[in-house]
Amino acid sequence: MNLLNYVPGDSFLHRLNPVTKLLAAFLYGIAAIICNNVFAEIGFIVLMILISATAGIAKRALFLTRNLMLLGLIMFVIQLFFVRTGDPLCVIGGFVLFTTGGLKSALLLSLRVIAAMLPLMLLFAITQMNDLCNALVKRVHLPYRYAFIVTTAFRFVPIFATEFHDIQDAQKARGVDFDTKNIFRKLQLIAPLCVPLLVSSLKKVDVSAMSAEMRGFELRGYKSGYKEYPFGARDLITVLVLIGLIVVTALFLK
Amino acid sequence: MISVKDLGFVYQNSKTAALDGINIEIEDGDFVGITGTSGAGKTTFTFALNGIIPQKIKGDFYGAVTINGKDTAEHHAEEFARTVGEVFQDIDSQMVASVVEDEILFGLENFGVPHEEIEERVDRVLKELGIEDLRDREISSLSGGQKQKVAIASMLALEPEVIVLDEPTGELDPESSREIFRILTRLNREKGITVVIVEQKIMLLCEYVKHMMVLDKGHIAFYGTPRDMVSSIETFKELGINVPRVTELSAGLIREKIYDGEVTLTVDDAEKMVRRILG
Repeated sequence: MNLLNYVPGDSFLHRLNPVTKLLAAFLYGIAAIICNNVFAEIGFIVLMILISATAGIAKRALFLTRNLMLLGLIMFVIQLFFVRTGDPLCVIGGFVLFTTGGLKSALLLSLRVIAAMLPLMLLFAITQMNDLCNALVKRVHLPYRYAFIVTTAFRFVPIFATEFHDIQDAQKARGVDFDTKNIFRKLQLIAPLCVPLLVSSLKKVDVSAMSAEMRGFELRGYKSGYKEYPFGARDLITVLVLIGLIVVTALFLK
Repeated sequence: MISVKDLGFVYQNSKTAALDGINIEIEDGDFVGITGTSGAGKTTFTFALNGIIPQKIKGDFYGAVTINGKDTAEHHAEEFARTVGEVFQDIDSQMVASVVEDEILFGLENFGVPHEEIEERVDRVLKELGIEDLRDREISSLSGGQKQKVAIASMLALEPEVIVLDEPTGELDPESSREIFRILTRLNREKGITVVIVEQKIMLLCEYVKHMMVLDKGHIAFYGTPRDMVSSIETFKELGINVPRVTELSAGLIREKIYDGEVTLTVDDAEKMVRRILG
């Protein structure tokens, strides 16, 4: 399952303006960061999964949550042993391993990371990268070249992956054994492939730039885009609800 | 009309000339096929036809290329982009969008085609290439032949006078290759669009093009109609280019005075010839 693939749909969330979606994801993240209550933080995550269910991407949300938990776990471990406030909770042979303060802040931080990142990752499931960039250019007047850099970077990932596999196959055909279990040996085998990959990538980028230039890239302004991205009532409602969420969080859950 | 006079080009950091002493006139409505071994200068030549050389690629440029009387060395390449559209060899890298529709929109938006006109143009080129159903598809999910059609469509949307294609059938199966040629022939006949195509499959060139050009080490080794090939079969052999077997066969039969008709370029013609000989 690709984490950033677009899932087509026609839900309330899908039909929001791309700019609103981005803003909403940020606002939700801000609310999660302000929140200082472990249970409310879990609530944020559950709520996000429920919201994504309305757009038909609950499966993706659960999958992402599981993956973000790994990141959360790392944060948890670090916080647990480094925050030393509160009463000793786990003492081994007179040495305080971690404290109540450490446990609480570790739990809070790891949940917060998940709750804040989840909406941003889910954004890509309901927004086409191109739409997001076009809307940012059209409505926020982001310079087109920056939007182009981002879309191109995303687009080239699978192309480079194919290229890498081709180079790897060429090496396999000459008897290089990439199936080794030894991770260091594997790295040692893969490292030299970076040179041909870099060379072919640069060539590809050259062609891409030339192709864009020959089709008038330089002439493009923020008005050029054909598709309009109007803001509607649902965009206003969404933003107001999220601002409300931040206010409530700041007042009661801080 | 594209007129090429004494064209020569040496890439930066290269000692040998990629092109040398090229003289050719490509008339409006022509269909020119270019072939030759790798490194013969085919791609370089296509770059010279729309100002990419000398505008975008550094090197020593000799001679002159004029498009409808405008010198490519004196105007920005963008000015020619709408007159001469080029489909590059590397089909994946030249795409600028991830969805077919956006790919076609890109040029239209940039060149400021009025928004009322855009919708109609997109519809029309999709229909012309028979890819209406691909409109909302991700380009990365398309087959090689479909990608070629998208690339041609995005050029066609800009309503160019000339389309230049660099080995569009390089990675296609025989049937898809033929389909690309059929589409180009139709555009050439019905819309009067001049087509310049680099192609290795000489059978296809013989069947579809009006003029053929063989490049060798930066020089024109042959230029003429496919039928003119017969008188230069030896040249082709020296260059390692296979003349279609049906052409060689008919040329042989004519030489031996067994057959008195014209040389054959396609298998169908050859069949007719054989039937006629056998009575």
